[in-house]
Amino acid sequence: MRPRSAPIAPVPVTAPGETLASLQRLADAALAYLSQDELLGELLTRVVEILRADTAAILLLDETGERLVARAAHGIEEEVEQRVAIPLGAGFAGRVAAGRRAVRIDDVDAADIHNPILREKGIRSLLGVPLLVEGRVLGVLHVGSLVPRRFTEEESALLQLAADRAALAIAQATLYQQERAARERAEAATRQLQSLQRVTDAALAYLPQDDLLSELLRRVAEIVRADTAAILLLGADGRELHPRAAKGIEAGERSAPVPVGRGFAGRIAADRRAVRIDDVSRAEILNPVLRERGIRSLLGVPLLVEGRVLGVLHVGSLAPRRFTDEDRELLQLAADRAALAIEYAELYEQRHLAETLQRHLLPDLRGVRGVEVASRYLPASQKTMGGDWYDAFALPGGRVALAVGDVVGHGVSAAAVMAQLRTALRAYAVDGHPPAEVVERMNHVMWQLGPRAMTTLAYVVLDPEHGTLEHVSAGHPPPLAIAPDGRAGYLPVATNVPLAVAPVVGYRSRVHPYPLGATILLYTDGLVERRGELLDVGLERLREAAAGVPAAEAACARIVATLVPEQRADDVALIALRVPAPPAVLRQEWPTERSALVAIRQQLRRWLRAQGASEDETYDITVAAQEACANAIEHAYRPGPHSFELEARCDGGRVRLTVRDRGRWRAPRGEHRGRGLRLMRMLMDDVAIRPGDEGTLVVLERALRGRRP
Amino acid sequence: MTALARIAVERVGAVAVAAVDGEVDASNAADVDGRLRALLDNRARALVVDLTAMRYLDSAGINLLFELGAALRDRQQRLHLVVDPAGPIARMLALSGLSAREATHPTRAAALAAAA
Repeated sequence: MRPRSAPIAPVPVTAPGETLASLQRLADAALAYLSQDELLGELLTRVVEILRADTAAILLLDETGERLVARAAHGIEEEVEQRVAIPLGAGFAGRVAAGRRAVRIDDVDAADIHNPILREKGIRSLLGVPLLVEGRVLGVLHVGSLVPRRFTEEESALLQLAADRAALAIAQATLYQQERAARERAEAATRQLQSLQRVTDAALAYLPQDDLLSELLRRVAEIVRADTAAILLLGADGRELHPRAAKGIEAGERSAPVPVGRGFAGRIAADRRAVRIDDVSRAEILNPVLRERGIRSLLGVPLLVEGRVLGVLHVGSLAPRRFTDEDRELLQLAADRAALAIEYAELYEQRHLAETLQRHLLPDLRGVRGVEVASRYLPASQKTMGGDWYDAFALPGGRVALAVGDVVGHGVSAAAVMAQLRTALRAYAVDGHPPAEVVERMNHVMWQLGPRAMTTLAYVVLDPEHGTLEHVSAGHPPPLAIAPDGRAGYLPVATNVPLAVAPVVGYRSRVHPYPLGATILLYTDGLVERRGELLDVGLERLREAAAGVPAAEAACARIVATLVPEQRADDVALIALRVPAPPAVLRQEWPTERSALVAIRQQLRRWLRAQGASEDETYDITVAAQEACANAIEHAYRPGPHSFELEARCDGGRVRLTVRDRGRWRAPRGEHRGRGLRLMRMLMDDVAIRPGDEGTLVVLERALRGRRP
Repeated sequence: MTALARIAVERVGAVAVAAVDGEVDASNAADVDGRLRALLDNRARALVVDLTAMRYLDSAGINLLFELGAALRDRQQRLHLVVDPAGPIARMLALSGLSAREATHPTRAAALAAAA
């Protein structure tokens, strides 16, 4: 028999009427509506009837392709029940399948029969044909007779027809099963995505973050049917992505970090959007592991939580593949879940908890130049969210606000109060209210929240340009000041009640001198309180630990190392701020952007005060310097990034400022253009402008008369 | 975000009083200029700009005050400045010649009396 393929072709036999009827019965379209099992059973029944045989059976190759397993039987049902398995090539059925042709056995007793059931049933003669679909052997259909019999060629052809019909049905069913399996996989993937958060949340309690990421990657690769998957997380500095977990990519040695903005992953993080690479060989791939692994196509999405980039998730394919929009959406969905899971994992890992809180709580002080801020948040040993809170932010006029608070409650309620405190503080402080008034207004807000909002608070506004510090305490321990020479002492406090104990309090502030270079430390009572000990003892312990360490970061490190035990009953929060004394000679490059002017002013004012300049002198020299700097900024007309240098020195009471730019001096035009230059000449003793090919040099000099001691 | 300068506007009769608090330099002069010019209208005879709470002013701010004064003069209106006569801002206005060109007053009440 030649292998034949579905659908059923007319059988080239000179069939009598009976055979035609038989043919119709086997090709019956109605069979298509039966389930696979029913169809196979019905086929066997009809085959037995048509061929007047006693037994019939269908055996199918198993997934290994090496064994035939009984699938349906008529008259020898034991075959199926006992799951008879015949090796390919051996025995009767094995030979039919291996030879891909009909085999006839006239006398079973004289033949090599593997299947004991055939012998035990007393079958005397057999006829078997292969089940073929498009040349592939699916299995074997055979019929048996309890009386010795010689099956004819015509019977063999009829059986083959039935086998073809069965093969077609099985192939269709397999296709259907595959399709259904695919749909089930897709549905499972959707379910998996839907349950991903729950699953990962539940897993979090048990999995360290690395295991969690591996598990996430395994799922993600499965869902989008990718060969490789990897997660890179943004480093603390926000400039580099660090490979954290990978699947299908040899992790041998940890890959180097990827700079944000460069390469495949770097672009995803920088642009905060998905990137698809159809052909890896044509793209900028920084990671050699990706190239060497033979990855041909890549798809990556950002890991985002509340708009923040946590990292990048990407999948790869070893075969060229065009990832679809659907793939991208699926991956982004998985990434969103993964990002949340990572965020949660971090929250639950104590070390990360501290980092995360610091990231959330420690504000951006880039707006204030030359200020050192350091902070620590150390939660209590039980992983409950405490009520300790701190904040620091810039105020107009180069001033810096610093606050530490301790909400009585714990958990979500305390977190909610903290959020309100922070909002209220920032709103009232930036609105320009004096510190005592800011705290009074905060108290009013907190009072309305009820007793759970009771909070102690220390609020400090530092004015480095005027060398003062204003402090308000609402039932909070006193600030510690570490002088530039290392001496440490507590600032005297005007005592007030905590927030939210009375609707109107009348908070009072105290103003202290602030020498540049001193560190101001605010902290919560967890740092100084020990059970069964007077508070003074704890305060003295802190003072001793901090003495001699005037730098903000070093002070925090020393204090935590000395005072904070591994196991602690209470949260500890501390924040230290220091405005370093300016160097004797100020020299700095500034970008040629108008926004730099404020920072230049702040730095220059501090420097001038340190030189002993009076209020008026500080103002005048600052204005003159700003005019020269503004000129340098206006003259930066060549394309590309630009900078200019401002140098300030003071020799024998004579201040000398030098502004050096790389632009060409332009003679002022019009009434207004010349005003800055005129002002500069009026405010300074000596003004020299030296234009050159490489840039312009402006030198301003003025003797300080109102020198302070 | 910390605003470098804030402007509080009050209307006393038909006269707008703009109090500029903070610092004005080349980075925000255009913004401040726009906000002050938005106060110009055809009914009032004057605009009062209160510089008492101003902490920094250089030629960028002085230029905008010169131009604001000119714009008002074009409309047959006057600019009245309130400035602490002992402070550095008054010195800047004097050095630049602005106080010779526009009316300056030590208090808001004096400015309003002159503007009425």
